[in-house]
Amino acid sequence: MLLGASAAGMEEEKKGVMMGRERDQFPVGMRVLAVDDDPVCLKVLETLLRRCRYHVTTTNQAIMALKLLRENRDMFDLVISDVHMPDMDGFKLLELVGLEMDLPVIMLSVNGETKSVMKGITHGACDYLLKPVRIEELRNIWQHVVRRKFSKRERSNLDIYKDFNKPPSADSCHGHNQIVGGAPDQSGRVSKKRKEMHSDEEDEGEENDLQEGDEPSATKKPRVVWSVELHRKFVAAVNQLGIDKAVPKRILELMNVEKLTRENVASHLQKYRLYLKRLSAVASQQASIVAAFGGRDPSFLHMGAFEGIQGYQPFVPSAALSSFNPHGLLTGTSAATFGVQELAPTMTVQTATNNAIIGHCTSDGNKFQYVGLQENQPANLPRGSTTPLGLPQLQQKWIHQENNDLSTVFSGSALANSLSGALQRVTSSPLPPQELLECAQAKLTIRPSMPMPSMNSELVERTVGVSSNLQDSSVSQQGALPINDAFSTDKLQLHDPFDGTSGTKFSVTMPVCPTGSLTATNNKSGASSCGTVLLPPDTGRHSNYLQFAGAGNSRHEIDGMKQDHLHNQEMSIGSFNHDFGACMTEQTNASMSSLMPQMKINSLTSEDKLKQKNIYDLGIPKLHGGFSSSSCNFDGLLSSMIKAEKDDLSFTDNDLGCDLFPLGACI
Amino acid sequence: MECYNLQRQAACLKRSLFDQGYLDEQFCQIEDLQDEASPNFTEEVVSLFFKDSARLMTNIEQAMEKNPRDFNRWDAHMQQLKGSCYSIGASRMKNECTSFRNNCGDENAEGCMRSFQKVKREHGVLRQKLESYIQLLRQAGPAETATRPGCA
Repeated sequence: MLLGASAAGMEEEKKGVMMGRERDQFPVGMRVLAVDDDPVCLKVLETLLRRCRYHVTTTNQAIMALKLLRENRDMFDLVISDVHMPDMDGFKLLELVGLEMDLPVIMLSVNGETKSVMKGITHGACDYLLKPVRIEELRNIWQHVVRRKFSKRERSNLDIYKDFNKPPSADSCHGHNQIVGGAPDQSGRVSKKRKEMHSDEEDEGEENDLQEGDEPSATKKPRVVWSVELHRKFVAAVNQLGIDKAVPKRILELMNVEKLTRENVASHLQKYRLYLKRLSAVASQQASIVAAFGGRDPSFLHMGAFEGIQGYQPFVPSAALSSFNPHGLLTGTSAATFGVQELAPTMTVQTATNNAIIGHCTSDGNKFQYVGLQENQPANLPRGSTTPLGLPQLQQKWIHQENNDLSTVFSGSALANSLSGALQRVTSSPLPPQELLECAQAKLTIRPSMPMPSMNSELVERTVGVSSNLQDSSVSQQGALPINDAFSTDKLQLHDPFDGTSGTKFSVTMPVCPTGSLTATNNKSGASSCGTVLLPPDTGRHSNYLQFAGAGNSRHEIDGMKQDHLHNQEMSIGSFNHDFGACMTEQTNASMSSLMPQMKINSLTSEDKLKQKNIYDLGIPKLHGGFSSSSCNFDGLLSSMIKAEKDDLSFTDNDLGCDLFPLGACI
Repeated sequence: MECYNLQRQAACLKRSLFDQGYLDEQFCQIEDLQDEASPNFTEEVVSLFFKDSARLMTNIEQAMEKNPRDFNRWDAHMQQLKGSCYSIGASRMKNECTSFRNNCGDENAEGCMRSFQKVKREHGVLRQKLESYIQLLRQAGPAETATRPGCA
């Protein structure tokens, strides 16, 4: 008796760490979705998982897996997927799941090469297991679920306990698996929260897959859509109070928005803080990565970017953007917010970004300054705190929601925007995000004051890289396009791509806004004009792959923007562009026209760009052909941006930089 | 008695398979997974393996015919097959798969052909042996799962 009781107690103890002695038996009963096209592997995996007492659902098709996940986000706690699958690449699935559902994903592969593992990590995998999988390894995978929950609620550990204790939400018990029934509702909770976050950040209730409607039966509150405007106010308020002292009540007062409750602000603040934390974590990670890679090598940077960018991406760009905005270029209005809030003139954005980037770099050296930017760059941000914070916030949101693709995209775009030229470049360069970053970097280097240009670029690159990865994911994800919502139909278009078909959308949006200008600019500046910029239809391909593929191809495409390459990039660019475009469009319907001015800038800086390009070209080729081209573009963008700054070019609202931010920031 | 003998035969066969490198530790894991909930797990996995691997090998063969020198494609197919081998613990076959993939990497079509032949051969041998083993297991009855001499 006693023994039995104590044994049971101990078991509960073990499990109850997280759950706080709940009856819930997590990790027992954890709901896992296993995806592998190899039936032997799948069967073995399933049995192993069952042996670990998880609830297992299996499918040999990634598409089916996505379908299952999309139908009910609450149904699973964890996804395990093979890397090599015929219908969809495992990395792609990984990104999509991360973005759309924000579930932990574990990759499986026979291939244990460093670069594959790295790819998995950069795409967001929380673990990478080698086949054949041992049961010992599987016994611990529940930690990823818990970790995610904890990190999401850094402040509300109690919530987690509550979650664990909560009975499974009704809506999570969808037919798909019998598993749902018994499992604790952590994932439900988590997903609920995620949903909330998504909804909050998503604004406009975009077609995001987010299960807005799936809200578990538990608390269903009216969602607050954190629009760019709202977020900007929030960030302004937080900055005014000081990030450490910002309390929801005071923030609410400062914001002075009707119908906004203290609770809304509190949760938003929490996310924002998490975002900032992640940024700094990423920054330090990045720093180490950079250090590890020796920083200068662009290719490494890219790689590093991939590694660390995941988290960084959203942040970095935003940071960069934020900083940029404040800078002088912004023509004063909201633009400063870097697009977060308004599509401030691109010029401002650009300069701001540049400054921001530079500023960051300098201050933190390798670290992603962005974090610093956000917090410490008042100088750069005339607008103030709102921008940088706003951006991070947005980024954060992105991260939360989209998990990367969007963030990166946006982040990248943010940078690009700031670079003003970057945007254009982005379009032209196959690898939008990366290029943007590169360009950004290039620009950074241009500025003498910025000690860390290289760093920045690295960061940028990283971010870019990451973004690009994300791009793909984001493309497929609707959610990723929160920005879209905020900004314009263009954005919406972006969303579509995410769904897979929407990819085209991206491109579409592009044209809407900046695309037109972008292409124009490209031509002008001779940058790689993304003729196709809008990669429209390539959505079919996984953006990620496209991007990379594009990157490779983009090299020569810079000028020619071959369609195929463009696809990838455009997709990514598109996403960026969207931001840009979105911003731009918002600001000025004639974004096209505004872009033009930017283009000019770009052309001005083309020389610089070329120079920059070289720098990056070297680096880029390593990674992808595209990158090099991107860098060129970016260089041009950067240079133009910098130039703009110097020349006080009148960036019109087209300032892409703004766009990027706002979108991201709005998140 | 007969049962016991069969069991011993099964055990011996398995041990020899291990000793000769046809199987590795992973196979032990598979057998470990067999329990009341999945009483025929080993058999199921083995037959699934051979069915699937036959299909994969056909794919490879076709790819080699229709897409000459398309090493990437060949490699992709072989990677799938190799994954299966990993999962079941088919050690020798896995090695041949690896050498095939190496040949693909070297873009050595001749080498690929040869490797593939070896893969096929290993596949055939393993199939034969495992089928005997399964047969013995079946005949010996469920008790044999208790003893697993082959797995240290």
